[in-house]
Amino acid sequence: MDVENLAITYRTVYGTLKALNGVNLTVGEGESVALVGESGCGKSTLGLAIVRLLPLNASYSAGRLMLDGKDVATMSNREVVRMRGSTAFMIFQDPLNTLNPVKRVDVQMLEAIHSRARHTNAPFSEGEARKEAVKKLEDVRMPDPESIITRYPHQLSGGQIQRVVIAMGLVMRPKLMIADEPTSALDVTVQAQVLKLMRELQREYRMSIIFITHDINVAYSICDRMVVMYAGEVVEMGEAGHITRNALHPYSQALIASVPRTTKDQGRLTSISGSAANMLSPPSGCRFHPRCPYAMEICSSKSPPETEKDGALVRCFLHGGNTS
Amino acid sequence: MVSNFGLFVVRRAINAAVTLVLLIALVFVLLHVLVPSPVAMARIITGNPRATPAILASIIKANDLDAPLYIQFYNYLIGILHGNFGTDTLYHVPELQEMQAYLPVTLELVVVGQIIGVLIGLYTGAIAAANRNRAPDYGMKALYLTTWSAPIFLVGFIMQLVVAYWLNLLPATGVVDPTLIPPPAVTGAPIIDALLAQNWVYFWSAVQHLILPAFAIAVIGFGLVTRLGRASMIDALDRDYVKLAYMKGLSKGKVVWGTAFRNAMIPIITLVALLFAFSVGGAVIIEDVFAYHGMGFFTVNAIYNDDYTAVLAFTVITGIAVIVANFVADILYAVADPRVRLT
Amino acid sequence: MARRPIRSSGQVALKTGSAAAETKDVKKGASFYLEYIRKDKPAFVGLLIIAAFMLFAIFEAIMQELANVIGQPDLGWMLLPTNPLALTFDLKLEPPSLADFPANILGTNFQGQSILSRVLYATPHDAAASVIVVGSAIVVGMFLGTAAGYYGGWVDEIMMRLTDAFLALPALVLAIAVAILIGGGFTALLYALMIIWWPTYARFFRAQALTLRNKAYVEASKLSGSNSFAILVKHIIPNSVDPIIAYATLDMGTVILTYAALAFLGIGVSSDYPEWGAESAAGLQFFPLQWWYSIMPGVVIAIVVVAFTLVGDRLQDLIGGRTTY
Repeated sequence: MDVENLAITYRTVYGTLKALNGVNLTVGEGESVALVGESGCGKSTLGLAIVRLLPLNASYSAGRLMLDGKDVATMSNREVVRMRGSTAFMIFQDPLNTLNPVKRVDVQMLEAIHSRARHTNAPFSEGEARKEAVKKLEDVRMPDPESIITRYPHQLSGGQIQRVVIAMGLVMRPKLMIADEPTSALDVTVQAQVLKLMRELQREYRMSIIFITHDINVAYSICDRMVVMYAGEVVEMGEAGHITRNALHPYSQALIASVPRTTKDQGRLTSISGSAANMLSPPSGCRFHPRCPYAMEICSSKSPPETEKDGALVRCFLHGGNTS
Repeated sequence: MVSNFGLFVVRRAINAAVTLVLLIALVFVLLHVLVPSPVAMARIITGNPRATPAILASIIKANDLDAPLYIQFYNYLIGILHGNFGTDTLYHVPELQEMQAYLPVTLELVVVGQIIGVLIGLYTGAIAAANRNRAPDYGMKALYLTTWSAPIFLVGFIMQLVVAYWLNLLPATGVVDPTLIPPPAVTGAPIIDALLAQNWVYFWSAVQHLILPAFAIAVIGFGLVTRLGRASMIDALDRDYVKLAYMKGLSKGKVVWGTAFRNAMIPIITLVALLFAFSVGGAVIIEDVFAYHGMGFFTVNAIYNDDYTAVLAFTVITGIAVIVANFVADILYAVADPRVRLT
Repeated sequence: MARRPIRSSGQVALKTGSAAAETKDVKKGASFYLEYIRKDKPAFVGLLIIAAFMLFAIFEAIMQELANVIGQPDLGWMLLPTNPLALTFDLKLEPPSLADFPANILGTNFQGQSILSRVLYATPHDAAASVIVVGSAIVVGMFLGTAAGYYGGWVDEIMMRLTDAFLALPALVLAIAVAILIGGGFTALLYALMIIWWPTYARFFRAQALTLRNKAYVEASKLSGSNSFAILVKHIIPNSVDPIIAYATLDMGTVILTYAALAFLGIGVSSDYPEWGAESAAGLQFFPLQWWYSIMPGVVIAIVVVAFTLVGDRLQDLIGGRTTY
């Protein structure tokens, strides 16, 4: 998947909201990338943009979003329907609402299998489909899949629901799996299990994963590459370990620093001063400058370009781009 | 799974029964609060404002009007459960006998009217939701605003005026062409009876006479259904499981109607039950406007003639009908939404 | 792995006692509501209509009272285009026309009286009904509902069952039954409506009480020794009222509709007062040729109720969420 200079804008009653601005991102086959940032930074928007599930008042105002060689923004409806599921699949945050509450799990899984069969012009038999559904549930390490499959979503726990959703995704055999904070609503032990599961599945199926989260620790544990976003822009991008050890952008540094460590006594917890940027009228120049402890004069007037440094991509005048 | 549902039905049935008893109690209490003394009560029963004390006394004796209230209530309750709604003040026959010719007619009208209203409302609601904040949405909003705000008799009058009198498309009043011979009364509802007897002339006439009043009844509820349908649909379309449905590669039609609509419909069921009560009330007026001889007509006559027993009987019957409708709605709700069966 | 969500304020929020964080729910003042309504044009028009309706009703009511007290009937229709109670047989049943503006825009009835004048004359009753019935329903519902929600237990059970029974019956049917038992007349009709109107509000206040009684400031209040009654009055009730304002506005329209329906059936109507619903019913015998007699009063009712509905709808958008109680 290749995102080039993508911009997404929303029309709202309060004005035009630039949710994404000049985003560049490439995800190759089998790669796992984490999108990290605080709420409202645009990471979910990017995820939805990839599968064209943005709300009606959003538009792809600039740039291209190439998925498997085709621009998502200009795809026809039929292509989009085919793309969803087979090329890219997305799972969501809140387990309570992710599955259709009025249909049983087996019905919903069969829907997915049937849909895939239709798109690939493959034969469909209910018996076979049922077996496949059970098998996929086994693949996601669901204990006792035979009985789970006859239940309704409200009878399952959060962790079980997410597994079912992942299984559904696997049914579709996507090349890219986008996970939008799938573990934020789960408690810590379940979260660890689901993460471990996703890592294993990714290796088994050779899927690319885009993992959207606000939690750096989770991002680090599951992904090779990390993309830090702030106010609709990519501010830093690079190899996960590299970034956590040696973050370049002030925002990334602040994010990492604010995570409490259980090992050593850190003293007071650090936090990032100020509040999130107003997306209707974002700060001029570098969008982070009002909250940046290292802000320079140029930061408020010009927007820093993406520069390469030490193998990572940074959008900050501290590390280059400052040609005056 | 099955027993879960069965338990649910039983629980709801008990609930309904309790509410029914309470309802009858309420009517009883209201009656006795507003008509405090046995003498006043007796006066009501005779319907004769100039009854002599002797007559009143005999009535008090005959109906146990000076017995303690709880005994009277017990008698009343038992009476109703046996179908005894009192004796008509005017005609001095059991109320049930008076009413039974009219009940099925009104039931037919209200049920048909409601179905029409709900179907149209669901459709317009879904359209409004799909076209949120665009022209069709605003159009629908204007429509349901006016239909909801207009008094029921106005709706009836306008329909009668335009369709029946000015355009001459449908008959203006009555249940059926009076010159026709009615089919044997199996259910008492004209259209059903005609269907059963395959009396097509009668059937067609009855249908023609039903359309306008039924649509008037539909108008009563249509606004609310549209409103709730739209809101419910918008809410459903926003949910993650709709996005997931798209992710499974389902087409827009399948997602909107098969997934979102299916979920959005659930709260409508409760609304429909509520509307049923509303529609029965509205039927009283509509039947007056269209001279449609059902329970409404019966009640209006009772009001004009100060026939208190009849009015009370009508009230109790309506209450029973509404409670039954709510019970059915509860069951349907549980069928539609599996989450509810645990309660 | 310790997890700490990074809030949008950039602060890492430690879990402190929530009691310190919320002291009171924010209340919005009347000016805020006004401003909000103004932004939506239809709602604003509705508000103007309501204001005109109420103001006119008040003035007309004063005039009618004065007329009765002083014994000068003229005062009753000073504000109206023509005398609504006079008999001028030469103007029988004119259709709506622009002649003699504005007296004849709604036409005349079989006694030659301007329908507009008659409708305007009856305005005080409808205005009074909507305010009094809804007002009393709120007050009664507030006491009963809040108590039921706050204290819970069997008080609550009884209240729920009672309101269930009331709500099982259609408002119109119950109103007919009660009205016919009480007797005729306007005040009797008002009483009838007041008796049946409160259950919805009781339910609403109960729901509010249930939610609010768990709030932190209520706990704080209890700890500092306030008795239940004080808590109810100081905390729970003021915070319950805001959301019903929207519903109450809508409900005033509903009262007018029910009132008109009852008048249509002849309940609570006296022969010298041209109630809106009764006027419509009186026109039945002239239907369809002189259709305006039946239709026009209904149209006026519709306009007034639309106004209430527009404003109420708008307020409900403000509360957010859909109609629930």
